[in-house]
Amino acid sequence: MTEKPIPPVDPWTKPYWDAAREHKLLLQFCPRCSKHIFYPRRYCPDCNSDQLEWVESAGVGKVYAFTVVRNNAPSAFIGDIPYVVAVVRLDEGVQMMTNIVDCDLDLVQSGMPVEVVFEKLTDEITLPKFRPVSDQAGRS
Amino acid sequence: MNTLKGKVAIVGIGEVPTGRYPERSAIECAILAAQQAIQDAGISKQEIDTVIPTAALCNAAFNTDLVTGRIVEELGLHVNNNLQIFAGGATSAVMLKVAAGLIATGTSKAILFVHADKLGTSITDQEGIDLFSTAGISKEWEVPYGMHYSTVAGLITQRYMFETGTSAEQLAAVCVSNRKWAELNPNAMFRKPLTIESVLNSKILSWPLHAFESNMLADGGAAFVVVSAERARDLCECPAYLLGEGSRVTHFALSQDADLTRFGYAQAAAEAYQMAGLTPTDIDLAELYDSYPIFQLIALEELGLCQRGQAGAFVLNGSTWPGGRLPMTTNGGMLSQGHTGAGGGIAILVEAARQLMGKAGERQAPRARFAIETATGGTYVDAHVTILGTEIP
Ligand SMILES: [Zn+2]
Repeated sequence: MTEKPIPPVDPWTKPYWDAAREHKLLLQFCPRCSKHIFYPRRYCPDCNSDQLEWVESAGVGKVYAFTVVRNNAPSAFIGDIPYVVAVVRLDEGVQMMTNIVDCDLDLVQSGMPVEVVFEKLTDEITLPKFRPVSDQAGRS
Repeated sequence: MNTLKGKVAIVGIGEVPTGRYPERSAIECAILAAQQAIQDAGISKQEIDTVIPTAALCNAAFNTDLVTGRIVEELGLHVNNNLQIFAGGATSAVMLKVAAGLIATGTSKAILFVHADKLGTSITDQEGIDLFSTAGISKEWEVPYGMHYSTVAGLITQRYMFETGTSAEQLAAVCVSNRKWAELNPNAMFRKPLTIESVLNSKILSWPLHAFESNMLADGGAAFVVVSAERARDLCECPAYLLGEGSRVTHFALSQDADLTRFGYAQAAAEAYQMAGLTPTDIDLAELYDSYPIFQLIALEELGLCQRGQAGAFVLNGSTWPGGRLPMTTNGGMLSQGHTGAGGGIAILVEAARQLMGKAGERQAPRARFAIETATGGTYVDAHVTILGTEIP
C-alpha cells in the first residue's frame, strides 16, 4: 500500500495546518480588500498586502462540482475507492478542493449543503473534509 | 494595428504513427517526424535556422538531450538557436505564437518544431495514473484529496451536465465522432468502430466519466516547419497561414476557477476572431483539443460554433462526423489517436495544417479554407484559440 501524499508546509501556511490539527478551518482575510482568501498565500493575490489576518471559517458551504472515483485511482488512494472528490464553495465566498465523506455517495449533488469535518493524516497534518449538513433545520 | 495575422505559415508537417511501439525510441520518433516535416516543406535543411523541441515527459535525460541540441546534431543542421518551449497541452499554440514573433521581427527565418515522447510504453498504466495525479496538481491543496486527471475531467463533466442538461449519450457521441475520423487516420492508435452503447457500457473511472471517455497514453512524435508568409508562397501552393490567436490563463489549482464549465475560451476566441477578421460562420473545420470529450463540447459553445447547452445535440446528430457540416478533431483526437503528452496538442495543430494543405487523404474535409483550433495545458489552466487559413482575409 503506497503511503498517502503529505502536503508540504510553508511558513505562511503553517497556521492553517496547526489549526486544522485543532479541528479549526482557518481562512486568510485581507482587511484592505475586505475579502477572504483560500488557499493561504504569502501575499494578498489582489493587492499584494502582506498584512493578512487569520480568521476561523464557519466551515459550511455548498457542493459546487463533484465526482465519484470508482476506478483508476492514484496508487495511494486505491484503498479508498469509491470516494468523492468535490469543489466546495464556502459561505465566506472561497472555493476549495476536498472529499465529501460520511454519506451515501449516490446522494451527493451540486448545491448540497455541507459542513467541515477533520481527518488526521499524520501527527502534523490533518485534512479538512466535508459531510452533508446533519441538521439543516437547526441552522439559521 | 500590427498583429501576428498573416505573418507566418506552416509549410511542412511530419508525424509517426501514435500507439504502443516498445521497439521505437523517442529519439527515432523525433528524427523521423522532423525529416518528414523538412521534406514536406520542400526546403533545404540548411534553411532551418531555429530548432524548438518541446519537453518529453517519459525520461528526464532524454528531455535534457532535446534542450541541449540533440535534434540539431542528429539532423546535421546549422542553426542559430535551439531552445525548448513547453506549456503542457497548450505547447502547440504557444509554439506558433512564439514562431510568429521570432519571424515577424526577423530573429528567425525558418523554424523546426519537434515533439516526441514514449508515454505509452516507458511507464505502466498505474505509473501513468500516478504521474498525472501530481503533474500540474497542487501538492498542498488538491493532491491530498486523491485528485488525478480523470477526476479533473469528472468534476468538469459533472458540473457541465448539471448546468446544461447534456446527456450521457451526447457526451459519448463525442467519442464516436472522434473515432469515425480515426478510422480514416493511419497514424491513430484506435481505429475500430465505436458505438455510443460501448462507451456507456465501459467502466466508470470518475463518475460521470467512462473509461472510453478517457484518453490513452501513447508513444508518438510530430513536427512542423514555420516560415514567413512571403517565403511560404514560394514554397507551396497551399500553406496554412496563421490568421488569429488569443488565449487566457484562468487558474493553477482547479478549485480556484469560478466557472468550471467555460474557462477562458470565449475571451480567447473573441481575440482570435478579431485578429483574423472572421466570425464563427466562416469556420470550416474545428480542430478542438479533447483529452476528454467535455472539452470539445465546451469549446464548440464558447467559440460560438454552437449555442450554450446545444453542443451535445450537435455532435449526436452527426454534424461533426465525416460528411457533417463542421468536421471536428479530424485526427481522432487524444481519445482515438492517443495522448503523447505535449504532443496531443501538436498532433491537432499538425492535423489542422494537414487539412488546410489538402494532405489529409481519406479524411480530407471537402471545404477547408478556415480552421479554428484549441489547446490547453495542465488542469485546463489556459485556453488557447488559433485560427489558420489557406488565404489571408
Ligand atoms: Zn488585498
